[in-house]
Amino acid sequence: MAFEDIDRGVIGQVYDRYTYHEIEKDELVRYARTLGVDDPIYLDEEAAKAGPYGELVAFPTYVVKLRGGQWMPPEVTRHMTREGFDAGKDIELGVPIRLGDRLTATSTITEIYEKTGRSGSMWFVVFRQEIRNQNDDLVANVDSRLMQRGAS
Amino acid sequence: MSQPSFDSIEPGDELAPVTIELDPAFVREHALALDMNADRFTDEEGAKKEGLPGQITPGNMSLALLSRVLLRWLPGAQLQRIGTTFRGLARAGVPAKIQAMVTEKDGETRLVECDVWMENEGGDRLVIGTATLRFPS
Repeated sequence: MAFEDIDRGVIGQVYDRYTYHEIEKDELVRYARTLGVDDPIYLDEEAAKAGPYGELVAFPTYVVKLRGGQWMPPEVTRHMTREGFDAGKDIELGVPIRLGDRLTATSTITEIYEKTGRSGSMWFVVFRQEIRNQNDDLVANVDSRLMQRGAS
Repeated sequence: MSQPSFDSIEPGDELAPVTIELDPAFVREHALALDMNADRFTDEEGAKKEGLPGQITPGNMSLALLSRVLLRWLPGAQLQRIGTTFRGLARAGVPAKIQAMVTEKDGETRLVECDVWMENEGGDRLVIGTATLRFPS
């Protein structure tokens, strides 16, 4: 079993749609504080009123915490070995996340491809989470790349 | 750390290396905040049992640290996009350095493009990336 065996018919299909609980202050502050962020617009509700958003918002990369109901589709996980790992992420950001937001993430596989390097064949699966808020505004597109070595 | 404005920055400007200690407790606390509670991110011995050299930093945390450094370097700018490739293990307990360089600047859109990366003490690039930031008018 390997990524190269994944049925290409899964590309473009939605495999998960998940609506999160209402965004709460404690989780946004915990995310920022444990990252060592010191800008009060991400930490202090009162101080954030004077900031560019007029209220406390999530630190931009908070979106990586939102992994949906099913972070990876079964079409990938059943082909994944212990050698598979997170190879990178591309994040396009839209409107900021605010307290009380209800976010919905829609997930699709967008690419499956092979690269050959010094150490041989590597297979990549890219899946996208499109995250929108309760007003249907785009919050983020998060593209995650999983890599697994091919058969040698 | 100097704090350039949109008017003062130019392509080629570099951020002096910022050392991130990656203290094991720091990595563990943020991994738990990310709901990434696997031993590899939270426990040295547990990570070794998984076949790793020791506790490692989640890629999602490395990406966020690059963003934190960029936003502190360019105050007032908003992160529009960041793309990263995780190339090597960022070990907890082993300091890493984050560096960045402005590669493009657009006076009309007030967008700035940067290369940004994390490297270990030996100069190996563990995470490489590019980012787009926008300065408000």
